[in-house]
Amino acid sequence: MHSILAVDDSASMRQMVSFTLRTAGYDVTEAVDGEDALDKVRAHDFDLVLTDQNMPRLDGIGLTRALRDTPKFKATPILILTTESSDQMKQAGRAAGATGWLVKPFDPARLIEVIGIVMRRPAPPALRPGTEDRR
Amino acid sequence: MNDPNADVCMTLPARAELQDHLLSAIHDLDRLHGLLADACAALTAGFLGATHELQGLRAARPAPGEELGRAALHLAAAAHALQFQDLSAQLIAHTSQRLRHCAGRLAQAAFADDDGEAVVETAPPRPNPVTQQQFDTGTVELF
Repeated sequence: MHSILAVDDSASMRQMVSFTLRTAGYDVTEAVDGEDALDKVRAHDFDLVLTDQNMPRLDGIGLTRALRDTPKFKATPILILTTESSDQMKQAGRAAGATGWLVKPFDPARLIEVIGIVMRRPAPPALRPGTEDRR
Repeated sequence: MNDPNADVCMTLPARAELQDHLLSAIHDLDRLHGLLADACAALTAGFLGATHELQGLRAARPAPGEELGRAALHLAAAAHALQFQDLSAQLIAHTSQRLRHCAGRLAQAAFADDDGEAVVETAPPRPNPVTQQQFDTGTVELF
């Protein structure tokens, strides 16, 4: 069973995301913000991280940067699910290493579809573990 | 753009009255935030309970009927709609911060007459991060 780390400071959003993912058969771990997420990834491996952007302590882009600096998360898909829809923020997310940018509210079926797509597709060479020094 | 340090040209009583209105609005927004959070928690509990019951019914039947499929579609629609609380809370927080900034500016201007100081909360960034006008499904962009 694939495992997903769902990060959001809103309890209602965490419940909706977790419900959607568990219904689709994923094993879900919740984190309340970026710092909590970093604590969780120290203890567990995840096949995908789905994170909110605007959170206290550490936001989604900061979390993405921190995860990309961690060898075991170089190639893990990271999706940012947020109310933010500006191109500037999307580009910041992309530059940080995010795999995709999803604007809330999400459609449950579409979310599952997108997660399936990013889990199946190969990671870009620059993001594969051990390839960062070969460019 | 207006100078953020510019004085507000109003009499002291007028400043005080306007600040009182702003603080009342902030208080009301806080109450609205709490009401929405409570309502959403109750709705979510009902949603999860109904989902659990539905899953039990589906597991108990060898061939789930169309009515269970329709019920699942209704619950999926509810999972979409229940995200209103997150968007609303962010809008309220953003608006409250803007109002606190305005109230602080007024207080600062009033205290300045007495060589006093007031702490002014930073204005929130523009634009508001919540730009949705309607509750449509958001966009998806894969990099």
